[in-house]
Amino acid sequence: MIAIWYAIVSFMLIAYVILDGRNFGAGMLHCFVARTPEERRQVIAAMGPLWSWHEVWLVGFGGALVAVFPRLMASAFSGYYLALILILWCLILRGFSIEVGGHINDRLWQGFWDFVFVFSNCLLAILFGAAAGNVARGAPLDAEGNFSMPFFTDFGVHGYVGLLDWYTVSVAVFAVALLAAHGATYLALKTEGPVHDRSARYAKYLWVAVVPLFALISVESFFVRSDVPGRAVHNPVCWIGLLVTLISAAMLISGFSTRREMRAFLASNFLIVGLLATGGAAIFPVMLHSTLAPENSLSAYAIAANHTALVVASIWWPIAFALAIAYFIFISRRYVGKVSVKRDTQGFY
Amino acid sequence: MQHPIGYRIEADGSLGIDSLSAYLLNPWALIQFAHNQSAALVTGSFVVTAVGALYTLRGLHRTQAALYLRAGTLVGLLASLIVAFPSGDQQAKMVARHQPITLAAMEGKFVGGTNAGVAAIGQPNVTARRLDNSIEVPGALSFLANGTFQSYVHGLDEYPADAWPDNIELLYYSFHLMITLGSIFILLMAYAKFQDWRGRLQSTGWLLWVLMLSFPLPYIANTVGWMTAELGRQPWLAYGLFRTRDGYSKVLSNGDTIFTLIGFTGLYFVLGVLFLYLVGRQIGRGPSEDAAVLDIEKEQALIGVPRQEHFV
Repeated sequence: MIAIWYAIVSFMLIAYVILDGRNFGAGMLHCFVARTPEERRQVIAAMGPLWSWHEVWLVGFGGALVAVFPRLMASAFSGYYLALILILWCLILRGFSIEVGGHINDRLWQGFWDFVFVFSNCLLAILFGAAAGNVARGAPLDAEGNFSMPFFTDFGVHGYVGLLDWYTVSVAVFAVALLAAHGATYLALKTEGPVHDRSARYAKYLWVAVVPLFALISVESFFVRSDVPGRAVHNPVCWIGLLVTLISAAMLISGFSTRREMRAFLASNFLIVGLLATGGAAIFPVMLHSTLAPENSLSAYAIAANHTALVVASIWWPIAFALAIAYFIFISRRYVGKVSVKRDTQGFY
Repeated sequence: MQHPIGYRIEADGSLGIDSLSAYLLNPWALIQFAHNQSAALVTGSFVVTAVGALYTLRGLHRTQAALYLRAGTLVGLLASLIVAFPSGDQQAKMVARHQPITLAAMEGKFVGGTNAGVAAIGQPNVTARRLDNSIEVPGALSFLANGTFQSYVHGLDEYPADAWPDNIELLYYSFHLMITLGSIFILLMAYAKFQDWRGRLQSTGWLLWVLMLSFPLPYIANTVGWMTAELGRQPWLAYGLFRTRDGYSKVLSNGDTIFTLIGFTGLYFVLGVLFLYLVGRQIGRGPSEDAAVLDIEKEQALIGVPRQEHFV
């Protein structure tokens, strides 16, 4: 039961990363792939009215965490307080720049909001990347399961660590490259005209850049969490995740070389799913590793809510999930196809 | 958190869910939800009415302005009545039954008694434990809390001072401001609807001015109502179970929370200014041409569901 709930919670976070990750990527590339004001609105129209729906997965992830792993929520939300507030502010600014930017047809107004849009998306990719690095590396949990940490200490990965150290920073750089590549792949699928051509070109460069960065953080991860690989090789989910990643990489290459954008985009999604699933399964059952003493780590089995809560959650989750999937199918059919420069096909964005 | 039910206390002292149906059908939650939603409807109808009054006073968009005024005053009157009765009334009875200390503090009632009155005016004096300069409506509180004029209402003196809400003055004034504004809403909307029914609303200049300028009042009423709920719950985080002073995070410093509080204040201020600017701009632009050619009869059939302008 607890392993299943760990998988469900991870699944919701992964769904958020692939869905909103493409918006982060598209947002970061916004100023590179789109040169004219019309093209910039085109990029935003490609993200369309879907971005707020993508954030639902993040909220759902948080809700599931409260219901099933309340102690992790209590510990992590206090410990990562400032980082999470920063993420929240960036999400607010990102949403606001999308909503407000198109309201006044003025170069200064739109230029300002485009800047806020790109800035907040870059920061979000960096912050989520650093957050992923933090979860993998662990936090300085004390015996009560609490921790607090500054933004950085001595940039080392053991003992009293900060949010940023050489490991989390390199994961953040990797996340920026990965999400930018993902976003470029999405824009290549979703747009036409000059934006499409530029996005397709950027996507190739960025995916090439992702490979050495991935190799780098893989090697780093072995040093940072030398306890994990020994357990991970016995976990079949890790091998499946790795297999998905490799097949997706092959599909991605074939998608780009044959110009099948849908294939490339799906491969890009599954590649991220594979990577995150491998990572999530590798650290199971420890949800938050303690950098001070391994016995302080928060294990999924120790911190799960009581049995009634798990049963209640298991009844409600499929209902909510079915609704979310039904909406996903509806909205995907509604906004299918490419977005052109001239005619804004996606409402008032 | 106001009236926790359906829980059980685990071996390690943490709370777990015990009965989902009790948790979801918490009567307090249902009544508070109804109170909230009807207050939201009041807010919306005041804004719609204010826009209608603005257009009428400027002599613009006659057709839409008449519709806004008619729909706004009708929904506004109904919603203002629902906010007070039954939802507000039931809420007060809930407070009287489950949080008697809160009720006493809301009314500045230091000494308990039968035939308890509601203070129309008065200032709570916590040090001297009395309500200064008060004019009371006798029996009204007993009636509102328990349904009879003779019933007994508890006073703050019956409870230890560490069980009192921390800021009784603020709680008292928040509650009374909410009640006053709520009464004004009912009177204003009833009079406006009456004039509308007589066909004189659009020619009564002063009433249009009042309707136009009163759109911020529901926002204030909502805020002080919220303050009443949260201040009244003190000193508990989860009422009767968990003290606020035990509930703070031990790993955060004052600096962290002050920093984020200032940040949120600044961010919300900027967003609020932008929101007002953009909404004001949209209102200044007026209804679009498509809306103007819509058949007014069709719109009237939809009264109560006024056409929504997509502002943001």
